[in-house]
Amino acid sequence: MNAEQVLFWLFSVCTLVAASGVIFARNPVASAMSLVATFFFLSGIYVLLWAHTIAALQVLVYAGAIMVLFLFVIMLLSLTDSGPVLHFTPSRIAGGVAVIALFVSLTAVFRKLPTAELTWVGDAAKLKNFGTIQHLGEVMYTQWLFPFEAVSLLLLVAILGAVVVAKPRI
Amino acid sequence: MGLIGYLLLAAGLFSLGVFGLVTRKNAVGVMVAVELMANAVNLNLVAFSRFHGGNTGQVFALFSIAITVAEVVVGLALVILLFRARGDVTLDLASELKE
Amino acid sequence: MIIPHFTLNDFLPVMPVGVLMAAAIVLMLSEVFLTSTTRTYQAIIAALASIVAGGIAVNNAFEPARLVLQGYAVLDPFSSWTTAMVCLGTFLAVLLSAGFLKHRNAERGEFYALMLFAAAGMSLLSLSAEFITLFINLEVLSVATYALTAFLRRGPRPSEAGFKYFILGAFAAALLLYGAALIYGATGATKLVEVSAALPAAFAKSPALVYAGLGLVLAGFAFKVAAVPFHMWTPDVYEGAPTPVTALMSAGVKAAAFVAMVRTFLFLVKGIDPVIPFTVFSLLALLTMVGGNLLALPQRNVKRMLAYSSIAHAGYMLLGVAALFAPKLVEAGAKVGVLTATPLTGTAQDVSVAVYKGLLFYILGYTVTSLGAFGTISALERREDETRGNTWDLERFAGLAQRKPGWAAAMALFMLSLGGVPPTVGFLGKLFLFSAAVDAGLLGLAIVGVLSSVIGVYFYLRVVVYMFMRPAPIDAPAPFRHWTTELALVTSAVLVVGLGILPGTITEWFSRVGMVFGH
Repeated sequence: MNAEQVLFWLFSVCTLVAASGVIFARNPVASAMSLVATFFFLSGIYVLLWAHTIAALQVLVYAGAIMVLFLFVIMLLSLTDSGPVLHFTPSRIAGGVAVIALFVSLTAVFRKLPTAELTWVGDAAKLKNFGTIQHLGEVMYTQWLFPFEAVSLLLLVAILGAVVVAKPRI
Repeated sequence: MGLIGYLLLAAGLFSLGVFGLVTRKNAVGVMVAVELMANAVNLNLVAFSRFHGGNTGQVFALFSIAITVAEVVVGLALVILLFRARGDVTLDLASELKE
Repeated sequence: MIIPHFTLNDFLPVMPVGVLMAAAIVLMLSEVFLTSTTRTYQAIIAALASIVAGGIAVNNAFEPARLVLQGYAVLDPFSSWTTAMVCLGTFLAVLLSAGFLKHRNAERGEFYALMLFAAAGMSLLSLSAEFITLFINLEVLSVATYALTAFLRRGPRPSEAGFKYFILGAFAAALLLYGAALIYGATGATKLVEVSAALPAAFAKSPALVYAGLGLVLAGFAFKVAAVPFHMWTPDVYEGAPTPVTALMSAGVKAAAFVAMVRTFLFLVKGIDPVIPFTVFSLLALLTMVGGNLLALPQRNVKRMLAYSSIAHAGYMLLGVAALFAPKLVEAGAKVGVLTATPLTGTAQDVSVAVYKGLLFYILGYTVTSLGAFGTISALERREDETRGNTWDLERFAGLAQRKPGWAAAMALFMLSLGGVPPTVGFLGKLFLFSAAVDAGLLGLAIVGVLSSVIGVYFYLRVVVYMFMRPAPIDAPAPFRHWTTELALVTSAVLVVGLGILPGTITEWFSRVGMVFGH
């Protein structure tokens, strides 16, 4: 077992434990803090996949911005422990069974994929650029212009939507 | 580590997210579950990007992060609205789906 | 680094979107700089912008189909016509909103801006030719409609509807994104053209991955078009949203999602046994047609009934999609079944031109009819009713014909068109779709469609019976009168009858070859 595998197991077990904390924690603040932990461990996984830019953005955007937003709303509405988190009504049990089925079928799908270690398949020039912030920035502004502009529209709509919805009265 | 390990981790995260979405009663809890699902998809994209040796998957993941942010902002505004209208944010998606 | 080079040609398909966005930004800013008490001018700006955008889209519809904007978007008649119909729907919805909001003292520039942004999202969704673009545009449309759904602040219903719509929309988006990620993993591409070129090889290597990706993408789209069994959110959201918004959701949002679904799957079924997509779409069509009509049957709440009816109408459109994917080669002597294709003449014809004509005409017909039907009930809602539970009860329509014959006649016309009774546009739309399905050999499914639409006639006619044959209750509401609402309803009614009697030129425009890029 090499260092990469050790790190992968470490990060993935931690990610799953933290993610379970997100879902099963009674206290909303605890749930949100578990989500921060999940984001950090996931960014470790991204580094293992040589996606350094994404790893940094994961911490900056998710753990930084989104979590603050979540905590802000939780505190603003002073949400506290409200009864048991899990109610085992028939529909929920059916949902749980469906989720297990989903996971098992996804596992079955992935089982056929190559299990060998990831090797670099591109050429050496690509390897130098892979995942760097410079290269990602370049392709976003040249090859991905249309989606990039569409995202700017999306953000404008989201701002307007959030302002309209959060207004106390119309 | 092989590709399959990352994909299984992503599948596990996605399933946990779906489970949370189905079972949580708290509106913020439901939104947190949706976040987990979005992150699972991002992990898939980054892993496939490494597998194919191209940047497309990472660009996809970047856009996906931006999309999630836009979604979360409106979602949290809706939570605040829900709280103002009802005084609490618990909801049961299953039981409210009356015919 | 390659600096991209664009020509005017690249921007043709997004020009309507540009007009809509510019008007939306003007409306947003008008709320900052102009604080006059009369705000009807905002509705007029929004309506004019949709007319201009629709005109540009109609003009684009005669361009040959091609890829533009580095392969991220298509310019083809299919998307241009969809944009034009979305603009028509937005035009009518804006006019309906003007009266509706004025009555509730809630006229705001942001509302119209969000409507125009939603329309821009719908138009962009119909022309996306790449997964990321498709997904972003879907979100533009969804985010704008989430906010519109929760726009009014009367009681808990709008916020509950908005949140439910948000959660199920986000879930659908996550499924679609997961599916797109798996397809990217299998093919290494996100542009639909490249994906479809790489699919046969990917399919040979790891079929399970491709199937899982396709299944997740289909589930995501099925939520958006509200196909049974992914329809659970529809009645509550449609009921809770402000009625003009519901009208836009039932027409525009659904049409755009439909067009995007058809476009995506035309590219994604390359290299797959054609029986599989055909069977899946046939099954969805069967469940949606029958389920939508059966669920609408017991509804006494007219708004909920129309919500279920919109599910049923999605089913008829899915019938057209199933005909599009019908296997071209059928072995002789195959039995007629509900989920099989058995051409009457022995060989299957290429029905794609007929199906696109049917789909576009159906979308057009459903847009004007649905806007009219929801528009009439929006004018009958009183502000005081909002805290009461029976706002849209059938009883409230009783005796409308004696009190307001014009309104009752318009509503009756829209109900007949929804039920598919000639000489309305709803009848012609069904005729085109069902005959295309029969030509493709989907005899069994088409018969089920006709039978289920006969069930539909019952609950549409029940509204007519209440309006014309029941005495009016004492507290019967009078419609709220506003010239924009009346203009919208008259326009819809004229189009419902006019297109039903003289479809001529429009059907010729819709049945040109080369309608959809890459097909």
